[in-house]
Amino acid sequence: MTVSFTGQAYRQRLEAALCDGWRFAGLHATGGGSQVHVLLTDREAGHRLETVTVDADASVQSIVDLVPAAGWDEREAHDQYGIGFAGHQPLRPLVDHDPDLVRWTVPVRGHDAYQIAVGPIHAGIIESGHFRFHVVGDRILHLDARLFYKHRGLEKAAEGAALEDGLAFAARACAACAVTNSVAYAHACEHALGLTSTAELARVRTVLLELERTWNHLNDISQICAGVGLAAGTTRFAALTERARRLNAALTGHRYLFGNIHVGGSNLNITTDQIRSTRAELSALQAEAATAWRELMFNSSFQDRLPDIGVVTFNDAVRLGAVGPAARASGLAHDLRSASPRLAYDGFEPAVPNRAAGDVQARLEQRGLELWQTFAILEQLLDRAIEPAAALPGNHPTPIGVGQVESPRGATTCIVEHNRHHIARLRLRTGSYANWPVVAHAATENLLPDFPLINKSFELCYACADR
Amino acid sequence: MLTLLRDLRQLRRQLALPAPSRGRSLAIRHVDAGSCNGCEHELTVTSSPYYDLERYGLGIVASPRHADVLLVTGPVTTRMHTPLLTAYAAMPEPRLVAALGDCALGCNLLGTPENVLGAISTALPIDIRIPGCPPTPETIATELLTFIDAKSSGEAARHR
Repeated sequence: MTVSFTGQAYRQRLEAALCDGWRFAGLHATGGGSQVHVLLTDREAGHRLETVTVDADASVQSIVDLVPAAGWDEREAHDQYGIGFAGHQPLRPLVDHDPDLVRWTVPVRGHDAYQIAVGPIHAGIIESGHFRFHVVGDRILHLDARLFYKHRGLEKAAEGAALEDGLAFAARACAACAVTNSVAYAHACEHALGLTSTAELARVRTVLLELERTWNHLNDISQICAGVGLAAGTTRFAALTERARRLNAALTGHRYLFGNIHVGGSNLNITTDQIRSTRAELSALQAEAATAWRELMFNSSFQDRLPDIGVVTFNDAVRLGAVGPAARASGLAHDLRSASPRLAYDGFEPAVPNRAAGDVQARLEQRGLELWQTFAILEQLLDRAIEPAAALPGNHPTPIGVGQVESPRGATTCIVEHNRHHIARLRLRTGSYANWPVVAHAATENLLPDFPLINKSFELCYACADR
Repeated sequence: MLTLLRDLRQLRRQLALPAPSRGRSLAIRHVDAGSCNGCEHELTVTSSPYYDLERYGLGIVASPRHADVLLVTGPVTTRMHTPLLTAYAAMPEPRLVAALGDCALGCNLLGTPENVLGAISTALPIDIRIPGCPPTPETIATELLTFIDAKSSGEAARHR
């Protein structure tokens, strides 16, 4: 459903929608900056796109006071389309890198307050991004995260491409979330083309999504151990991550499952023999992960480092629009998998830890809970050979398609606006994009040496956010 | 903790990686100039028990000042161009540049010209080429070790 409004009416409609339980899922500009769209979703996978026309003076009302989660979206629309957002003050540059420090950082003043600049190049194998810590002693007062060093203009570059060719732009935005981003893109295209999923297509895509989640969650646990400095845990889980990637290669021919998602169907063939060996390997992987996980749970010097670090309260998670394991670790039981009619997640219930304190400990526990869920889903779905499948016509085609998929890092939304099957506008809002402002918030009031641990407990992609 | 160490030791025995035979090393500094994060993930596991590149004296170092090789991933984005050149300028000579992955080598680049400058060769001279999307850990290991071997035999020939 698309409804167009101007001025104050847009804010009022949005406010009413939020009161009715609709959730913000992204804001983006189209038509060379003549329109701004806000995507809202409900719990039953329903969505609506509110459209507001940009004024003659290239400005619209800001919604950032109603939805703080729209902060980055508005800054991005300003940088890329020159749209002003009245009421969003100061509208700091996000994608644009202004050399003037005062323009892009939050002013922090006071006795002994100083800044520490880290990045964009980091002291390890880490993606590029800049963090500017405002600290007193070791205490972080505020963190300005400046990303988009890796901005490649993928959304813009995709414009004009045929829908099937546009897949590459979504897939190669990020290797760690390649399946999620591809499926979100394919769903958006299929929605636009009026295609519906079939049981077999839903199954193969769900299998690929959960295989992606398996290696990502194993890697996240390894990284949290690295954040504490527990080398044995880091190495053990890195070895398990490697096994999961080898399994991906054995099953689909690619360690990151590249090239297995297509718009309108799937070509993947997995024989009964492959299913049998995959089930055996997954079961061995699960057993070994469970043993290693128990070691982490009972390692007191490791566990001592986790509670009360990088806390995101339930209210902050809601307010800032946190998604994924990070949001669920704060008690926000939202998971797109519980309402994904195009995927095979029947009966899925989001997991939330007993102690949903929103700290590093809760985020670690969340990874464990989700990992066991994922192994269970895979066991259930890998019960027979996988054969090529195609989406079926059945719905009305629309000019704008929306696809939403739960990535290992949270809700990922892809919006495709097309003109005779060629992309007019592509928007990819990933779980990492939604959660980066939450990381900056979580770091506040913590000790600077704890930042790597806090950051790794979210384990977000830079590439996904930067695009 | 003991179980973790025991399982790791068992894994190492089971993998039985060949013993290092080379008396040489390369200190590597990684720079992400705009990758999709795939090359980073593969580079990370080269230090896992399955590959353990440190056995061959191939270690990742925390500063370009400590590095022999600048290992660069991704195409060069507009915003990473200056940091990349700064890192290269900070290296002691002799210094080498390795381009890791198809993007770094300029294959099938995606993006707009105002945001993506191109392959690593548009910014720096490349000495080592490691193809793949992303290159597997085996490829990374093989290419780096082949380079060390070629370098060693070249130098040995000169000393003879």
